[in-house]
Amino acid sequence: MHGEGLRSIFDEFREQGVQAIEAGRIEEAATFFDRALAWAREQGDGRQIDLAVCNRAAAAIDLGRGEGELPRLREILMRNGDPVNCRVAAYNIARHYELAKSYKKALFYARIARERSEALGRRDWLASSYNLIGNTLLAESFVEQASEEYEQALALMPEEPSLALAGILDNLGYCRILQGRRREGYTLLYRSLHLMRRLGNEQHEATVRLDLCFAHLETGRNRSARHQGMRALEIAEKLGNTHQIKNALYLVGEVESLEGNVVAARAHFTRLQREFFPEASYLPGFLLAVDVRNLVNLHA
Amino acid sequence: MAQIEKIRQVKLVGQKIRQLRKEHKLTQVELSQRLGIQQSDLSRMEKGEYRVSLDTLFRILAEFQMSIGEFFGEMAEESVQPREIQLVQKFNALSEDAQREVEDFIAFKQALDRDRHNGDGSDES
Repeated sequence: MHGEGLRSIFDEFREQGVQAIEAGRIEEAATFFDRALAWAREQGDGRQIDLAVCNRAAAAIDLGRGEGELPRLREILMRNGDPVNCRVAAYNIARHYELAKSYKKALFYARIARERSEALGRRDWLASSYNLIGNTLLAESFVEQASEEYEQALALMPEEPSLALAGILDNLGYCRILQGRRREGYTLLYRSLHLMRRLGNEQHEATVRLDLCFAHLETGRNRSARHQGMRALEIAEKLGNTHQIKNALYLVGEVESLEGNVVAARAHFTRLQREFFPEASYLPGFLLAVDVRNLVNLHA
Repeated sequence: MAQIEKIRQVKLVGQKIRQLRKEHKLTQVELSQRLGIQQSDLSRMEKGEYRVSLDTLFRILAEFQMSIGEFFGEMAEESVQPREIQLVQKFNALSEDAQREVEDFIAFKQALDRDRHNGDGSDES
């Protein structure tokens, strides 16, 4: 078989993996990237092997199994060979540290990814790098700086529907709500929700709904907040996403509490405490008495 | 329906964290290490400039083994009426079953109120 044919089979596996990622089917994506890697190894193509390693690492990182991937990713980055692979490796390392909540390390690698993307002239990659930089800043409550990064990301992002675009809209929307620019925030968040639903990515849909729940809470639209929060909770429970379940239980509890529905509020806060903070028996009472919205960062 | 007046004063919370840290004779470095966060982040938290995840927030509370009374005692006194404090104290003194009965009764009274007002708003999609 000729090189062109080999490349297309490799690319086909990768393409299927990328599509699965877009739809939130990460395990399935990992399988496709494994196949791409096996294929590349069979052909002995070093560049393709590195790329497949990076892609497989991206799926592993999203599945919370990124630790084992770091040495290979660092090696690819340090070897400084193919610029595309270097960029993807740097981006994935940054993403791993973001999920591990090591935001300063994440910022360091995200900036490398941005520089590499710039050198390659890839607008979409530059956009996702800006977005990742924004995430690390937002997680550390640098809201103004984070929104500047998200604005740059949005400006560079192609208009066609993609998970990346939906993510940027969500992130900037959340920032706008924190900045008090609520009308703008709503527009961005609902655009993101529309896109997430169109892409069928439920995991990220739940994130946007949590942000919308928070936005509605901030504007006193408690009925809408309850709707978004409960829907997010349903999805998070279905997917077993504990981070989202925690945030959802807190937010819907806060909605009920602010509505004066003490029984319902206590039920949500008690569940939050029993399932996730069993030692903290004071928690339901604390959350009934104290509104911690101004203390909590849903994107941290 | 009357909304519950809840405590929502970020700067005061930051000040309270600083005060409790000092009472426990902890430096910012020591406390931040215990909490698994950066010292600079704790410093911003104490200034009311830093939002945290629920996990971190509850770690802070756990670190000082705080109850509402300990942590927000002063703030609660400022924002809650004495009658309300008494009610909460009495409620907290009840057994878990009795607390549930009280909550059920409140739910019953709320339902009655709702019936009386016969709905108050539009539906959400």
